[in-house]
Amino acid sequence: MSNELNDRLRAALRPIDPGEDFTRKVLAQIASQARSPALAAPFARPTRAPDFRWLSAAALLMLVAIGMVVMHGWQARRAQEGMEARRQVMEALQVTSEKLDVAYRVVKEKEHSGA
Amino acid sequence: LYVNENDAGANEELMTRALAGEAAAFGSLVRAHQGSVYSLALRMLSDRYEAEDLAQEVFLGLHHNLSSVESAAHLGFWLRKVTLNRAIDRLRRRRPDRPLEEASSVPCDPTDSDPLLQRRLRALLAQLAPAPRAVVLLRYQEDLNPNEIARTLNMSINTVKSHLKRSLATLRERIGSTVHGERRRTVLGSFSDDTGSLI
Repeated sequence: MSNELNDRLRAALRPIDPGEDFTRKVLAQIASQARSPALAAPFARPTRAPDFRWLSAAALLMLVAIGMVVMHGWQARRAQEGMEARRQVMEALQVTSEKLDVAYRVVKEKEHSGA
Repeated sequence: LYVNENDAGANEELMTRALAGEAAAFGSLVRAHQGSVYSLALRMLSDRYEAEDLAQEVFLGLHHNLSSVESAAHLGFWLRKVTLNRAIDRLRRRRPDRPLEEASSVPCDPTDSDPLLQRRLRALLAQLAPAPRAVVLLRYQEDLNPNEIARTLNMSINTVKSHLKRSLATLRERIGSTVHGERRRTVLGSFSDDTGSLI
């Protein structure tokens, strides 16, 4: 059976070329987008933006490390001050003990001579 | 460089070169496919300026997504799918009272054996609903089989066949009612019920 509608449709719907000017317009739009940093060309691999997550993590780690060093220094100084205070107290006690010893001996000698 | 849109080897080489950043290769890809993309857009939208705008938009989209296109066959599939989806979106957004461009103002192929009848067919096609119009275009402009049409338009094959059958019946009926005299007898005689063989 004749298939003329089929052929007529194929003939009526042959592709129409929009012309060389169309290609130029597309390429010009792509070029203008490539010049705009917000619409960079997809072909060229985009330059990687610095990864701020890593930067902030590194900064945080550094702050924690500095904090620990400062804390350690402060604790060491406190411990040293404590030791110094203890030494001074011991020295004072020793001096006092020696003085008391001398006084005790004097009192004892006076008691023996009086008797 | 001029290549045919159906030359898979040449298209794949152009795709590789375009992906490497060669603008001329992308230009050749555009040139190879612009007829198909522009014609689909034109026949869906019935407006030359809007069709050109849509076709440019599709190629800009291709430029951005070229790395996701796997092969020359996939390129054709991608271009048709994106063009028709975007055309249907535009038609949905379009004001319903907007007048369509006259079929006579749409450029005609100078090799047309019967330019009047072909213009009339194109005008009747423009009156079909967007989905069946897309099906008819893919069948007769792009020469796809119903399976390929179903895949492109994300439809079941039965829906594609049903759209084709009803659209052809509508076109046959309308073209018959507008052609007069001797011409009418010839056309009606030759457009007898051959829908089955078309599908």
